Amino acid sequence: MLSVKGLTKTYETPEGPAHAVKGIDFEVGEGEFYTLLGPSGCGKTTTLRCIAGLEKPNDGEISIDGVIVAKPSDNLFAPTHHRNIGMVFQSYAIWPHLDVFNNVGYPLQVRKPRPPKAEINDLVMNALEQVGMADFAKRPATKISGGQQQRVALARALVRRPQLLLLDEPLSNLDAKLREQMRIELEEMVAKIAITTLYVTHDQSEALSMSDRVAVMSDGLIVQEDEPRAIYGKPVNEFVASFLGTANIINGTVAERTGDDKGVVIIDDDVGQLNVILSNGLAAGDALQIVVRPEDIHATTEQPADQSNILMGVVDLLNYQGGYAECFVHVGAIRVRCIVHQSLRAKPGDKIWLSVDPQHCVIFSGNT
Amino acid sequence: MAAIAALFSGRRGGDLGLGGILALGTAVVAALYFISAPLLTLVLSSFRGPEDMLPFEDAAVWTLGHFSEVYTNPVLYKEIIPQTFVFAFGAVTFSFIIAFTLAWLVERTDIPGRNFIFTLILFPLLVPTLMLGIAWVFMFGPNAGWINQGIRFIFGVEAGGGPFNIFSMGGLIMTQGAALVPFVFLLLTAALRSMNPSLEEASAASGASPITTFFRVTIPILRPGILAPLILAFLIAMEQFELPLIIGLPARINVFAIRIFFELSPDTDLPVYGRAAALALPFLGIGILLLLAYNHMIKRADSFVTVTGKGYRPERFKLGKWKWPSLIFVGVFLSFAAILPALVLLWTSLFGFNAPSLAALSNISFTPYIELFQEVRFYRAVGNTFVVAGGSAVIVTLIGAMLAWILVRTKMPGRSILDFISFFSIGIPSVIAGLAAMLLYLSTPIGVYGTVWVLILAYSYRFAVTTRLNRAGLMQLHKELEEASYAAGGTWLTTVRRIVLPLMGPSIMASMVLLFIIGFREFTIPLILMSEDNMVLSVILWRLFENLELSKAAAVGVLIIIFVIPIIFLMRQFLLPKTE
Ligand SMILES: Nc1ncnc2c1ncn2[C@@H]1O[C@H](COP(=O)(O)OP(=O)(O)OP(=O)(O)O)[C@@H](O)[C@H]1O
Ligand SMILES: [Mg+2]
Repeated sequence: MLSVKGLTKTYETPEGPAHAVKGIDFEVGEGEFYTLLGPSGCGKTTTLRCIAGLEKPNDGEISIDGVIVAKPSDNLFAPTHHRNIGMVFQSYAIWPHLDVFNNVGYPLQVRKPRPPKAEINDLVMNALEQVGMADFAKRPATKISGGQQQRVALARALVRRPQLLLLDEPLSNLDAKLREQMRIELEEMVAKIAITTLYVTHDQSEALSMSDRVAVMSDGLIVQEDEPRAIYGKPVNEFVASFLGTANIINGTVAERTGDDKGVVIIDDDVGQLNVILSNGLAAGDALQIVVRPEDIHATTEQPADQSNILMGVVDLLNYQGGYAECFVHVGAIRVRCIVHQSLRAKPGDKIWLSVDPQHCVIFSGNT
Repeated sequence: MAAIAALFSGRRGGDLGLGGILALGTAVVAALYFISAPLLTLVLSSFRGPEDMLPFEDAAVWTLGHFSEVYTNPVLYKEIIPQTFVFAFGAVTFSFIIAFTLAWLVERTDIPGRNFIFTLILFPLLVPTLMLGIAWVFMFGPNAGWINQGIRFIFGVEAGGGPFNIFSMGGLIMTQGAALVPFVFLLLTAALRSMNPSLEEASAASGASPITTFFRVTIPILRPGILAPLILAFLIAMEQFELPLIIGLPARINVFAIRIFFELSPDTDLPVYGRAAALALPFLGIGILLLLAYNHMIKRADSFVTVTGKGYRPERFKLGKWKWPSLIFVGVFLSFAAILPALVLLWTSLFGFNAPSLAALSNISFTPYIELFQEVRFYRAVGNTFVVAGGSAVIVTLIGAMLAWILVRTKMPGRSILDFISFFSIGIPSVIAGLAAMLLYLSTPIGVYGTVWVLILAYSYRFAVTTRLNRAGLMQLHKELEEASYAAGGTWLTTVRRIVLPLMGPSIMASMVLLFIIGFREFTIPLILMSEDNMVLSVILWRLFENLELSKAAAVGVLIIIFVIPIIFLMRQFLLPKTE
C-alpha cells in the first residue's frame, strides 16, 4: 500500500546541511497500522512529511497504492493536494476562522467536482458522529478544548475516506488522562474503518499498544522493524532495548557452550554466572551483553532450592508503586533493577535472590 | 502614604518601600500629565474667546463662537472632510498593496538579498517625511523634476511640463502611500510570521490546490492581522502633515492637519487658538473610535494565533521564473522610496538644482556645506535634534516601563483606564499634540515656552508603543524571578535595578531606539512650537526649502541621512527579527 525506498532528506541550514533522514526503507500493507518510533530529532516527522508531500525528498522513492508520488531521480513529485491522504498534525492545525462543521467539511468542499451540499452534510455529520463531536458542529474552532480539537482534526482527516492516514504525535499535546482515553478511541476507530495508518510517536507505550508493526528510528535510520512483541522482547541492540522500556544491561563473557544454543556466561566483576541462550555463534571467551527486563526477574527473600540461574544480592532501595514495587539490588558490583509484587517484604540491607529464565535474557555480542 | 501603598497592593512578595511608591507614583502622575494636561487645555481653549486673545488671558470669556464658526463653514464639509478621507484612504490602499507584496516576498519566498531589502525598505521610516517630500518634489516637480525632464528628453518633447505632476491628489496619495510602506510592512511581516504553517499544510493535505489554500485559508486567517495594521495606518495617514504641506498645499488640497496649522499661523491674521482647538476635537474622537476598532481586531488576531513548538518555517516558495519580475518590483520601489531620494539630495547639495549631466560635474561646489558649518544655528539645530529626541525617548521609556510594570504586576485600581490612556496617545496627531502643548505652555508662566524643554515636554506623550513593548517583555518574564529576589532580601528598588531592568533590557532598548527615531524625524511639533532657539534639523530643512535655498536644504537632507546610518545599525540590533 505504502512503500518507501531509500528515502533521504537533507535540510540546508545556515550551519550547514542537516541530514534528517539518511535512507530508509519500509512497506506498509493494506489496512496495517504502522508506527515510526524514535527519540526527538531522529527524523520521524521528516519522513511523514515527505510521504505527505510537504517536503521534497533528496533521494529515494515513495509510492502510495502502487503510484509513485515522489522519485527525485526521475524528477517525479506529486504535490500534497494530489495525494489521497488524511493527516493529523501535532498542533492539530484547526482553522480558527471556520467552525467545527466547516473545518471537517473543507476536504469535501475543495474536491473537484464539488459534491452536492446534502452529501457533504451527511458525510461531515457522519464523521463528527464517529468522533463524538456532532453536537459541536456549529462551534467556532477557537472555542473548543485540546481534546476536542484532536477529534475534529481526526474527523477532518477521515472525512474524504483517504487511502492513507498520517498521524504525527497526535496525542502528545494532551494531558496524561485524556491521552490514554484518546489513544483507545483512536485505536478503535482506525480498526473499525480499517484504514492504512502511519503513526509517528516517541512514546513507546503508544507504539507497542496500537501498532501492527513498529519501526524504531535513530538518527535518520530505521534500526529495527518488527511486531511490538518482538521489538520489546528481542531488541536488536542496546539502543532499542533501552528505548523501549527499562532494561538491565549486564556485561559478561562466555564461559562455555553447553549445547547447540545454550551456554554459560560469567558476568563481569565476579557477580556470578547465568545460563543463557546463545544462538549467534559466540564462542568461549567472547564478550557479550545480556539484556534483562525488570519484570522478567523473579525475586525472593528466601534462598530457593533450585540453584540454577540464581544471583544473590543485597536490597539497595525499594520503591513502593501501588500494585507492585520497584526494587534495586546490588549484585556484586552491579546494580540490578527488578519489579516485585507489593507483598514482598524487604528492606535495604536484606539479602535477596534473583532468578531469571534463560528465555528472557537477550544477548548482544561485544562489550561497551 | 499608606493610602498610596494600598493602591499598589494585591501583589504578593516584597513590599514596594518608600522608594518604590515614589517611583511608581511619579510615573503614573507624569504619564497622566503628559497626555491629559495638553488635551484638557485644548478642550477648554475651544470654549474660550474672543478670537484675538489667548484663551486664558484675563479678558477672555467662555464662548461657543469657535464651534459655530468652524462647523457652519461649508469648506469643512466640501473640502476638508472629503479630501482628508480620500487622501487617507488612497494612501493606505496604495501602501497596503506595495507593503503586502514586499512582506510576502521577503517572508515567504526565496528572493535573494532579503536582509538587505528588509533594511532598505525601512529607510522612509527613519528620516523626516518632509525630507523625502522635498526629494520627491525634486524628482517629480512638473517642470524641473528630474524624472519628468528625463522622460521629456527621451521622447523628445521640448516644451511644457509633465508627464507627472506631483502636485495633485494622485501625487499626494502615492507619495504618502510610499512613505507609509515601512510601517505597514513591519506590521504585516509580523502577522505573516505569527501564522502557524501547519494551517496551510492541513489544507494541502485536505486536497486543496495552492490557490484554493491561499484564498480559503491563508487570507481569511491573516485577515484580522492585516486589518488591524490597516486601521492604524489609516489613523496615521489621516493626521499626516508633512506631505500635505509640501505637496498638497500647492495643489490646493486641504486636509485637516493643514487646516489646523493655518488657523494657528495664518498668512495675514492673528492666530485663532480656539478655532484650531474646536476643529481638532472631532478628529480626536475619530481617533478614539479607530483605536477601539483596532483593539478589537488585535484581540481577534491574537485568538487566531496558534503557537507551535516548531521553530522551522515551511520551505520558502520558489520564485523560479518570477524571480526577476519580483526583483524589479522591489528595485523600483526601493529606488523611489530610498535610493533616488538620497541621490537627488546628494546631487543637489553638490551641483545645485538641475538635472544631472556630465557637464555639470565640473561645477561641483561645497559651498552649501561650508555655509551650514559656519552657522551657529545649524550646530544648535543638530544639538537640539539629538537632545530632544534622546530626552523624550528616555522619559517616555522610563515612564512607559513603569506603567507596564504596574499593569502586569499590580492590581492597582484604574489600571485599565491607565492602559487605555497610554494606548490612546497613539491616536493624538502631531498637529494636535503641538497645538495642545502650545496652548498649555503659553498659558502657564513657567518659562519653558520657546526653549528646547517645551519640545521635550511636548514630544513625551507617546506611551503606547513603549508600554506595549515592555508589557510584552514583562509578561515573558516569570514573576518568580522577581520573587526570588525579594526572598533573597532585596527591596523593590533593588529588585527592579538588579533583576527587572537587566532582564527587560531588550524591550527597553527597543522602545528607546524606536522613540528616538520618532523624535528624530519629528517635524510638525517643532514647527508649531518653533522659536529662534529651539529649531531642530527638520525645521531648518523646511525653512531653507521655503526660502528656495535648495542646495543648502539638500545638504541638510544629506547630513540627516548620515546621522541616520548608525541608527540603522542600532535598529537591526534591537528591533528587527532576523530573517534567515
Ligand atoms: N525545516 C528544517 N530545517 C532544518 N533542519 C530541520 C528541519 N526540520 C527538521 N530538521 C532537523 O532534522 C532532524 C529531524 O527532524 P524531525 O522533525 O524529523 O524529527 P522528529 O523525529 O520528528 O523529532 P520530534 O520527536 O522532536 O518531533 C532534526 O535534527 C531537526 O533539527
Ligand atoms: Mg516530530
